Amino acid sequence: MLSLTVLYDPDCGLCRRAHEWVAEQPKLIALNFVPCASDEARKRFPLLDHDLTKQDLTVIRYDGAVYFGPKAWLMVLWALARYRDWAYRLSTPELLPTTKRVVSAISQNRYQISRVIGTS
Amino acid sequence: MTTTYTYLIYLTISVALTIWVARTLHKNGRVFLVDVFHGNEALADSVNHLLVVGFYLINFGYVSLALKLGYLVTSAQEGIEALSVKVGMVLIVLGGMHFFNLFVFSRMRRRKPIHDHRPPIAPDAFTAVKQEA
Repeated sequence: MLSLTVLYDPDCGLCRRAHEWVAEQPKLIALNFVPCASDEARKRFPLLDHDLTKQDLTVIRYDGAVYFGPKAWLMVLWALARYRDWAYRLSTPELLPTTKRVVSAISQNRYQISRVIGTS
Repeated sequence: MTTTYTYLIYLTISVALTIWVARTLHKNGRVFLVDVFHGNEALADSVNHLLVVGFYLINFGYVSLALKLGYLVTSAQEGIEALSVKVGMVLIVLGGMHFFNLFVFSRMRRRKPIHDHRPPIAPDAFTAVKQEA
């Protein structure tokens, strides 16, 4: 069964909001959401560096391929029926550096952003 | 009197041009639409017809709104000048509408179901996955 496991930060309002949005979207691939560094995550991925997953979004494919940070965001987009095209577009060599910069900036400031939009 | 004739000539030319462009679109757009709808000819004909109706409505609407000259035509020269401006505008609107229609057709053609199943990007690493019992 093709599926992606998304390790998200349950302490961040923005991430919870994003999680709700993704949950409502039609999907091409099943997404399992697991809070990062939780017991369940440690049980399922015993060899993963779980401290690292607290820093940024992590996606793990059914076969164990790990996508971290901006790559994880692209994989989530790729799983959504309406946004698969966008995943390819944003990961072209021309756009990938910009995508990485923007997503990293959002990720690193996610607590501040959550506070500003009032979801912390 | 000359003004009225100018209006009548304007209407004749505009209506004839609109009908000609609409028929061209209707005839040649069909092939595109049949391809877009994967050979479903009934659906293609229906969409084709609806597009042409919209085309007629917009063009006749424009022709009608742009009819009034605002001054009296007193000589044949003035009449031809007025006609050239009015018919020229109709031609440009028709051209714009025509390209818009082509754009819609090509957009529909591109919208195909998703065949691509490659992940967009290479993974950073691999880890062991413990299968759930």
